[in-house]
Amino acid sequence: MTPSMATIDPRPSPLHQTLARQVQRARLPDGGVDVDRLLALVSETYAETDVDRRRTDRANRLMAEELEEALSKSALQNVRFKAALDNMNQGLALFDPAGRLVLTNQRFLDIYRLSEAPAGLTLDQTLERSPCLSIGTPTAQRRLIREYHDIASDPGAKIEQRWPDGRTITIERNQLVDGGFLDTVADVTEARNASAQIAHLARHDALTDLPNRTLLHERLAEMMRNARRGDRCAMLCLDLDRFKLVNDTLGHPVGDALLVAVADRLVALVRPHDVVARLGGDEFSILVQHVTSDRVVKQLCRRIIETLTQPFEIAGHHIQIGASVGVAMGTVEALDPDTMLRDADLALYRAKRDGRGNYRFYTPDMHVFATRRRELEIELRRALNSNEFEVHYQPQINIETQTVVGFEALARWYHPERGVITPGEFISVCEEIGLIGAVGEVILMRSCHDAACWPENVKIAVNLSAVQFKSGTLPALVARALRVSGLDPRRLELEITESVMLEDTASVITQLKEIKRLGVLISLDDFGTGYSSLSHIRNFPFDRVKIDQSFVRELGTNSDSLAIVRAVTGLCSSLGIMSIAEGVETLDQLNILAAEKCDSAQGYYYSRPVPLAETGPFVSRMAALHSVAA
Amino acid sequence: MWSKRINGGNPTETFPASPDLVIVFAPTGRFADTGFRDDLVHRYHDAFLIGCSSGTMVEDNRLDDDAVVILGMGFAKTRLKLAVQPLPSPDCSFATGVALAQELADETLSGIFVLSSGLNVNGSALVAGLRSGVGDGVALSGGLAGDGPRFADTRVLARGECLSNGVAAVGFYGEHVRFAHGSAGEWQPFGPVRTISDANESEVGGLDHEPALALYERYLGEEAENLPASGLLYPLEIWDPVRPDDRVVRTLLAIDRDKGTLTFAGDMPQGWKARLMRGIFDDLVGGASTAAQHAADHAGTWGVAPSACLAISCVGRRLLMGQRTEEEIMAVSAVVGSDIALAGFYSYGEIAPQNVTGVPCLHNQTMTITLIGECE
Repeated sequence: MTPSMATIDPRPSPLHQTLARQVQRARLPDGGVDVDRLLALVSETYAETDVDRRRTDRANRLMAEELEEALSKSALQNVRFKAALDNMNQGLALFDPAGRLVLTNQRFLDIYRLSEAPAGLTLDQTLERSPCLSIGTPTAQRRLIREYHDIASDPGAKIEQRWPDGRTITIERNQLVDGGFLDTVADVTEARNASAQIAHLARHDALTDLPNRTLLHERLAEMMRNARRGDRCAMLCLDLDRFKLVNDTLGHPVGDALLVAVADRLVALVRPHDVVARLGGDEFSILVQHVTSDRVVKQLCRRIIETLTQPFEIAGHHIQIGASVGVAMGTVEALDPDTMLRDADLALYRAKRDGRGNYRFYTPDMHVFATRRRELEIELRRALNSNEFEVHYQPQINIETQTVVGFEALARWYHPERGVITPGEFISVCEEIGLIGAVGEVILMRSCHDAACWPENVKIAVNLSAVQFKSGTLPALVARALRVSGLDPRRLELEITESVMLEDTASVITQLKEIKRLGVLISLDDFGTGYSSLSHIRNFPFDRVKIDQSFVRELGTNSDSLAIVRAVTGLCSSLGIMSIAEGVETLDQLNILAAEKCDSAQGYYYSRPVPLAETGPFVSRMAALHSVAA
Repeated sequence: MWSKRINGGNPTETFPASPDLVIVFAPTGRFADTGFRDDLVHRYHDAFLIGCSSGTMVEDNRLDDDAVVILGMGFAKTRLKLAVQPLPSPDCSFATGVALAQELADETLSGIFVLSSGLNVNGSALVAGLRSGVGDGVALSGGLAGDGPRFADTRVLARGECLSNGVAAVGFYGEHVRFAHGSAGEWQPFGPVRTISDANESEVGGLDHEPALALYERYLGEEAENLPASGLLYPLEIWDPVRPDDRVVRTLLAIDRDKGTLTFAGDMPQGWKARLMRGIFDDLVGGASTAAQHAADHAGTWGVAPSACLAISCVGRRLLMGQRTEEEIMAVSAVVGSDIALAGFYSYGEIAPQNVTGVPCLHNQTMTITLIGECE
């Protein structure tokens, strides 16, 4: 080592400084340098530098490898991310803080029908390229761009646009932390159309497209809001006569087509501002506005009835129906929509009760009547649970032998406050409210049970309602009543009216035949009062025909009645069917019936309907009289 | 106040007067030598005598792995007090800190210089214990004893005893004594940002679902056989992803090859982000200069020149830079000047106030500077 080494300027680099320090450390007390020590120190530095270089190289290589791997993962992630973005339902557009486009997904391009949207464009520049916005007027295009441009910067600010091509588009903006923003664009055309359709369906009848009850109420409310002082209106409720028959016999498709045709005729009858609505089934209502007089409304009612009575030609069928109409009138400003509809409905009920093909205007007594009926309904349901129904029996006498051949069962309702109530006052209500099945069952079971105690030659006649045939379970009920009571089926006679035969004839005939196969007798009640179709007697082998009391009452005073009685008894005689006359009150009537060969009779002449306890003594008394006479 | 650093290996070097405080830094083996200790006690029987072991001593602007560096200080108006506490296990670190603080606490207490054994200690807890007892108004600095790359045996000298598990702290009292501090690491994060995927307190099992030990072994290559010491070459910068600006440096302390885990000098919350760091020589040297400058700037406000400079640097820096480590101490010396008594050691953990907040804490991988002076 030469002394000159110690004079090397260390400043050029740290390693030179190190060398200078190493020389100092290797310096000997005599000023010379310990070369071996110096070389060892220098060698050590070389080694350390080498180690550091290797460390650095290694770290750099590993870091590069890791970063490369991360980058390839990131690239793959970007591919996936782009695929995810492009497959979103919403369009996305990302803008930087300067409002320059950073990226869009494919859906954004699709919605705006853009082939590309280069990064760096402003929002306005991007939108101006869209053919969807430019197909409208220049003003519309500018408005749509301005609306989008001006979306508020609140988080989640959203606008909805209707585009010139008919689409509905929503645009939502979200601010980003870097000051940029992300817009989400969605084509909601289908959803909006569906919403509109749903809103329409919610307010219209799906079959006829007429307003439904909801829209009718809205129109009523609207009318009240816009009413002039003293303005009057009418609410018509109408119901098609015999519509059910059309549905049942010709099928629902024909029934539906008929309803559509009815709707068309009704709409053609009213003025544009009147509202024809379908409330359900065959129920329609018409809101007539600006009514000047009752006469106009009456005229409309007549035209409605007349128009709907004109035959319809549906699917090759010639269909004849009719209509009943109920009317409620009112001053618009004092109107209560619910009350008005209810009043019209009550008037309709009255129109139908008074014979179909009618119209009636609401009067307050209808409400009283309806209230009374509602009370009756409540009481009837209670009565059924409290066993308030009893059966009385009216004897039926063989006119020739003057012996008791049977009793007709007649229901009695022992009302805890109002006393005994006869069937005429409650059976029809039971039919309407669906209680007739339960009440009829009670009567039939009780009658069979009671009749089982009578002498074997005494029958029991029980009336059936047309409604009781609807469920199709009547034969089973009859079989059960016979089984429970042990009554000989030949001692049970079921009376049906002609109206039963007018209902679903095939089903009724099937059930009647089934009942008859049990051995039970079937008789036709009230013959002569209704349709008196001979085909009914021919279609079913009735065992007995009952001549209605209206004819019997007039025997001796009205020759027409005598002619009818004679015709019926003659018909029965020739067909081998037994006959019975009801409502016999005098000996003269009885003598005429005897002369006309009527087989048996019942009525006050012999006895009122009596409780069970009195039936036995009555049979005995009549038997005693017979034996005395014999 | 006077200060002087002398070479303990040269019996001819002496102090100008009887010192009040003597701080000795020497290799572990010297402290284990009873004769050495007895000689020190004999020579400085009137002074508070403390010291600690290290693999490398700072002696003025030089480093020496074998030197015995003795720093003597005499104070005119400052009272001193020595507190010594055992530290049987890392779990006791906080309690030990509290006990030391209780011994020293006094309303005139101005600063504390603390030396702790370097293994089996939770340095953060020790500092927290001291702070809890004396408050943040008291200047606190010092370090954990070292043992070079061996991590086998560290010692603390106090009251003539040589403790393997103990802490010595000197309290400085009165309004005349002055302290100035600086610290800097300047390690540079590199490579991918990772996530601590498996960790329990300070023990890390996985980074990005890869065994943490495997990652270190890959980066260290053949030097992995020197773990955990070689792990100091790659400290970890960690941060809570929700507070990315608040980052701390964690040094590897121990490994468990069976479990494949690494234990760091502080908590490693699972889910936090982590990034490897490495030292670029020039950056580390620049960091040492920055630390010294920070302290010097503060001392410039005293109106009196600092008398002593204690430079305590991390053994990781020594391991990385080798002979060139001396450059960082030269950089410090260049800042504080040649008139000051400069001494120090390479430690297993540095204690000094944070530059910004002034709150004392345990540092990792840093150069820390403590300047001491006394005003009239």
